[in-house]
Amino acid sequence: MRMDIQHIAKLARLHIEAEALSVFEKEMETIVKMAEHLPEAEDALLPDRETPMQLRRDEAEDGKFTREEMLMNAPEVQLGCLAVPKTVG
Amino acid sequence: MNLYEKTATELSDMLRRKECSAAEISQEVLERTETSEERIGAYITRCEDVMQQAEAVDKAIAEGRALHPLAGIPIALKDNISTKGIRTTCASRMLENYVPPYDAAVTEKVRRAGMVITGKTNMDEFAMGASTETSYMKVTHNPHNPEYVPGGSSGGSAAAVAAGETILSLGSDTGGSIRQPAALCGIVGLKPTYGSVSRYGLVAYASSLEQIGPMGKTVRDTAMLYSLICGRDQMDATTVRREYPDFASALSGKVQGLRIGVPREYFGDGICPEVSVAVWEGIRLLEQAGASVREISLPDTEYAVSAYYIIASAEASSNLARYDGVRYGFRAKHYKGLTDMYERTRSEGFGDEVKRRVMLGTFVLSSGYYDAYYKKARAAQQRIKRELADAFRECDILITPTYPTPAFPLGEKSDDPLKLYMSDICTVTANLSGLPAISVPCGKTASGLPMGMQMMAPAFSEQVLLNAAYAYETLCGGFWSGGTVI
Repeated sequence: MRMDIQHIAKLARLHIEAEALSVFEKEMETIVKMAEHLPEAEDALLPDRETPMQLRRDEAEDGKFTREEMLMNAPEVQLGCLAVPKTVG
Repeated sequence: MNLYEKTATELSDMLRRKECSAAEISQEVLERTETSEERIGAYITRCEDVMQQAEAVDKAIAEGRALHPLAGIPIALKDNISTKGIRTTCASRMLENYVPPYDAAVTEKVRRAGMVITGKTNMDEFAMGASTETSYMKVTHNPHNPEYVPGGSSGGSAAAVAAGETILSLGSDTGGSIRQPAALCGIVGLKPTYGSVSRYGLVAYASSLEQIGPMGKTVRDTAMLYSLICGRDQMDATTVRREYPDFASALSGKVQGLRIGVPREYFGDGICPEVSVAVWEGIRLLEQAGASVREISLPDTEYAVSAYYIIASAEASSNLARYDGVRYGFRAKHYKGLTDMYERTRSEGFGDEVKRRVMLGTFVLSSGYYDAYYKKARAAQQRIKRELADAFRECDILITPTYPTPAFPLGEKSDDPLKLYMSDICTVTANLSGLPAISVPCGKTASGLPMGMQMMAPAFSEQVLLNAAYAYETLCGGFWSGGTVI
């Protein structure tokens, strides 16, 4: 099976350089080929009932982190907010 | 014997009897690290406050306070486990400068017990790999032979323990990432039952498969650390509410009547004869001590590696979508507009193995391919789970090699991802089925490289597993007779 790496990369928000495309293509095709011997799925997938999740109460916890703590790893902060490139004119 | 060569159990007893101080232990571990780290490269970040942590424990001892048995014992954490105020990189350029504002649940437990955190260990980038070679940060060498890989992805955690650069460590295991480096570095590593250890604060790769687990020189050390980290955590909805015993004190070393299953598919093509022979010798030792042994067949094992890589990559593609250069982590310097910023950030921030798995995951979840790949992989996973459940009706534990071969030379498999993936054959079934599995040292090859024996048990049967491992350790005269490996 031939894979369209450029299309997959676009879906994954990755930019693959032209010279690397063929290498990724070859590797991915080999990996996908390995998966082609899997048996047909006869039944619908069942939810995992052996380990049911126990959700905590959906309540906001104030004061767990300060604004500064939440922003300290951000690549760009302006006026106490995360800054991103302009998206509307 | 130097303090850094001792086990956590020995050091804990010495501390209790006041034969040494926590500061003395940490001082020796630091000095050892100074001399060996250049050759090993186990750590990405070494903590600067090791002595202060140790002195705080000594002060608490002097005040007569009741302390956890692991208080004062040095521990290293894999660099995908969040540590408040300590850089947590996942060995990726993407998180090279990321300092978490919170502790993972296991980090909190380690700190509360008074363990001394020595640093954060090297790993494959985002835990994707089996040799620690996909790390963006550095190369880690096997302490038994620096020309060889330490295994992975928790290669730094395994190498640090084996080299005496810490006493205990934590790793994470998504497809074998605790057990495999433990085997290749000659130590013990436990992948706990899914849902027994909180993943809160573990940087997510494949959430339905991964667990944090302990690594140590002996089974008892590993059991002690497991008792500390297991338990329900309301911050991780997948953790199970149940009572856990004190695993270390319940170790009996008796295997009379233990039913051992040996699945022949784990000893097939690709398994190095030296490994196969060593594991069978281990099985025979247990048999002579009173266990019963029967060969069984688990034919669905042949689907395990494919199913694993599809499911893990699908989850990775979703989990790693958060790295977009907006909230935290790396952002590309040059871009034109928002979408270009996402693409360039992710392309420059991730290494090739991460890109490969993110793209594979994107592909198998994409329109037109979901049924052909992801759905089939999940169905195969259910078959493997059922097959193992059936096997455990007749066996208490299964024994297999941990890894098909001993450690391989650095660089040997780095250009062939598929070859490396196929070598996960012995370990991925425990992750796909959520079962606990442990790797114990199983002798050395003629060239002096360690080999590992894996034991697998039903969910939440860690006590059975640890006891069988402890019995084996006792029967073969102990894994750790002291002395360092380099």
